[in-house]
Amino acid sequence: MNDSDFVNQQLLENLRALAADARGHAPQHVEERVVAAFRTRRRRRNLLTWMPLGGAAVAAIAVGLWFNHTPKGSTIPIEDEDASFYPLAEAEALPVLENAMVVRVQLPVSSLRMMGVPVSEEDSDRSVQAELLLGQDGLARGVRLAQ
Amino acid sequence: MLESPSRSDGDLLRLLSGGDETAFLEFYRRHQGMVYRFALQMSGKTEIAEEVTQDVFLTVMKTAKRYDAERGSAAAYLYGMARNIVLRALEKERPYTATRDDITADAAAANDTFGELAQSETLEILRRAVLALPPGYREVVVLCDLEERDYAEAAEILGCAIGTVRSRLHRARALLAEKMRAPKGARYDRCAV
Repeated sequence: MNDSDFVNQQLLENLRALAADARGHAPQHVEERVVAAFRTRRRRRNLLTWMPLGGAAVAAIAVGLWFNHTPKGSTIPIEDEDASFYPLAEAEALPVLENAMVVRVQLPVSSLRMMGVPVSEEDSDRSVQAELLLGQDGLARGVRLAQ
Repeated sequence: MLESPSRSDGDLLRLLSGGDETAFLEFYRRHQGMVYRFALQMSGKTEIAEEVTQDVFLTVMKTAKRYDAERGSAAAYLYGMARNIVLRALEKERPYTATRDDITADAAAANDTFGELAQSETLEILRRAVLALPPGYREVVVLCDLEERDYAEAAEILGCAIGTVRSRLHRARALLAEKMRAPKGARYDRCAV
């Protein structure tokens, strides 16, 4: 074996030893940081996803208050008889409710379905009177059917 | 919910892009060591390695939706990102200034009475020698010799031909051998058969 071969062989052995010596992992605080960033990003994304719907709900309130010509007492078949407010998914990312206001509006059933309220699919084209629970920021936290 | 150990990287990336934290954590824990070690071996600095690991997985959150398993493995996807971030970090940092002279001086200084270097000292000198390689050579040594990726994987990660990886590795090892060879009294010369 010449000098060059010996050096190369030693080098490869030492590189293997160095590889075995370097089996490290990122410290725990890195994991904590990336998970925190993941949660923040998810909250932001949820907010952005639902903000247009929140805006639409507010617009619907305004429209409903001005043009509420629908006869009172219209009903549709509801799969869930629970009359309490149905929590909106996007509300999870909103600030804690401090002051609340209930506003009665006329909403298409399809909007209720988008908010996660279990209503019959056959009535998607109809409108129904619903009550929105608005927070201090004017954003909807929950919804329930008025009847 | 119990996690299935058989969830592929592609499945995890799809799930995490939809906001699934469990999938994100599983993907992170599966790959963080590889990314961290690569960054550490490329930079020699734990703070850079931590920053790179963090940045890589932050980028994963944003780009996971675009990941296509047919275009490459998740490892190549992660190494590719880590490599870009490390190289940017190294550009900002003051370049590692170890030269052949200080490495060989270290080697000579590390000789004990019997002329033997302790294994840990040898490894430390080798680590420094790897860090002193130009980045193009350093990354092939880190991938092929330290992370034990095969030539094809390294070529995929580096975006070059297998032949290029092979030749760079050959040249890098020659540089390392040269740097590790102390002028006088060092282990390699003295022990050569």
